[in-house]
Amino acid sequence: MSDHSHSHSDSHGHEHDHADHGGLGKYMVVFAALCVLTGASFFTYSDLWPFKETPQVGWAFMMAVSCTKAMLVILFFMHLLWEANWKYVLTVPATFMSIFLVLMLVPDIGMRSHYVSEERLRHMAVPEEAHEDGHPAEEGHQHEGEPAAPDEAPH
Amino acid sequence: MSHDEHSAHPGFDYQPALPIPNGKVCVWLFLSTEIMFFAALIGTYIVLRFGALVWPHPSQVHLSEPIGAMNTFILICSSVTVVLALEMSKKNNAAAAKGWILLTLILGSLFVGVKGYEYNAKFSHRIYPAAGPGPIYEKADIYYAAAVRTRLNELQTALQAQAEPSEQQQHRIEVVQSILTNYVEPAEQAAGENGNAVEAEQELEELANAVMPLHHAAHDTQGAEAEVHHAGLNDEHSWLKLPIRIPGGNMWASTYFLLTGFHAIHVIVGLIVFAILLFMRLDATKAGVVENVGLYWHFVDLVWIFLFPLLYLF
Repeated sequence: MSDHSHSHSDSHGHEHDHADHGGLGKYMVVFAALCVLTGASFFTYSDLWPFKETPQVGWAFMMAVSCTKAMLVILFFMHLLWEANWKYVLTVPATFMSIFLVLMLVPDIGMRSHYVSEERLRHMAVPEEAHEDGHPAEEGHQHEGEPAAPDEAPH
Repeated sequence: MSHDEHSAHPGFDYQPALPIPNGKVCVWLFLSTEIMFFAALIGTYIVLRFGALVWPHPSQVHLSEPIGAMNTFILICSSVTVVLALEMSKKNNAAAAKGWILLTLILGSLFVGVKGYEYNAKFSHRIYPAAGPGPIYEKADIYYAAAVRTRLNELQTALQAQAEPSEQQQHRIEVVQSILTNYVEPAEQAAGENGNAVEAEQELEELANAVMPLHHAAHDTQGAEAEVHHAGLNDEHSWLKLPIRIPGGNMWASTYFLLTGFHAIHVIVGLIVFAILLFMRLDATKAGVVENVGLYWHFVDLVWIFLFPLLYLF
């Protein structure tokens, strides 16, 4: 019981410490930044976006924008900027496990089209130029990095 | 001896392991598992998508980028309202805090509503994940033509079973017959023993494009006009429900509905919690609760920040 009331008052003291952080002005600046960044990633969809031929530029740009937005939300809205060092204990291992998980999927799943048999290819959808050439397997390898490119050409 | 020592310090205070309330520790532990959960889903999507030979363009699967951007904006606004609710709660302004929570609840419901509208648009185009042979075919080959023929025969049998077909049914019989003679039969003939491969490919392509055109570029120039112009047989006659051809469409449907579905479940859970908060007095003593709920909600927003470009713009 006494333990409970203690932690309660403790949390109060904590909140008062943090009352100086945040603040309406700061939140509004972050909100404006998030809106601008959303507009920036949406800009890649507009006709004014200059890198239509190389979608990789757009992908890299959008991921950079998303990571920036995520950092803004985590640091300011989730108050992680003002937390003590315990924040690293929870976030760093989770981040590492996430990255390893993705990397470990690459050989079997990400590179699956490298080892696909001729028989399976016959029933798979293949990029459009490959379809006309009649050599889907070879074309598939050449277009490894940009599978969606043929679909985007008409836009 | 140790017993004596203990009794000598009756006022011993236990120190918390972390300088934050227990509830917040729990929420952060939960969120770190959530990071891994969504990182697994998003990571698998990225690996599947970039390892695929073909992936459908958003317009081919009837995804609307402006609607996605609007939903992103709605969620960002709701994150701000939660933050403001926490600020008000800390200042012991319970009424204002409840007002911001109510606004968050409304914005979150709006997000779910828009998502539901989008899901409905997919379902009406027969795009959904299916076990076994679903309505989506990877390419316009003889298997696709056979599936179209099967569906049309089904319709024809059902329609002709009527003793006295109504005017509408008579019209439907004509539509089915015209698709059979204009698209299916030429494709079957070309793909048959006496046809040639190039012609067969063209005819099959024509059949698939008639059912659902691939390059139906809604954002081209005339917007609505282009949409009408490119409408396929399935759009013109919703009762047809013919199989459709989308290269890479099955994998797309599986990943899209898995990612957005799990995200939507998280949004709905958040909405339930906000609804519960509405029945509480959100003064300074409840600031911790508002903060914990807010942390969860910001995380849900965070996931969408990644899902929006990955699903709509890539």
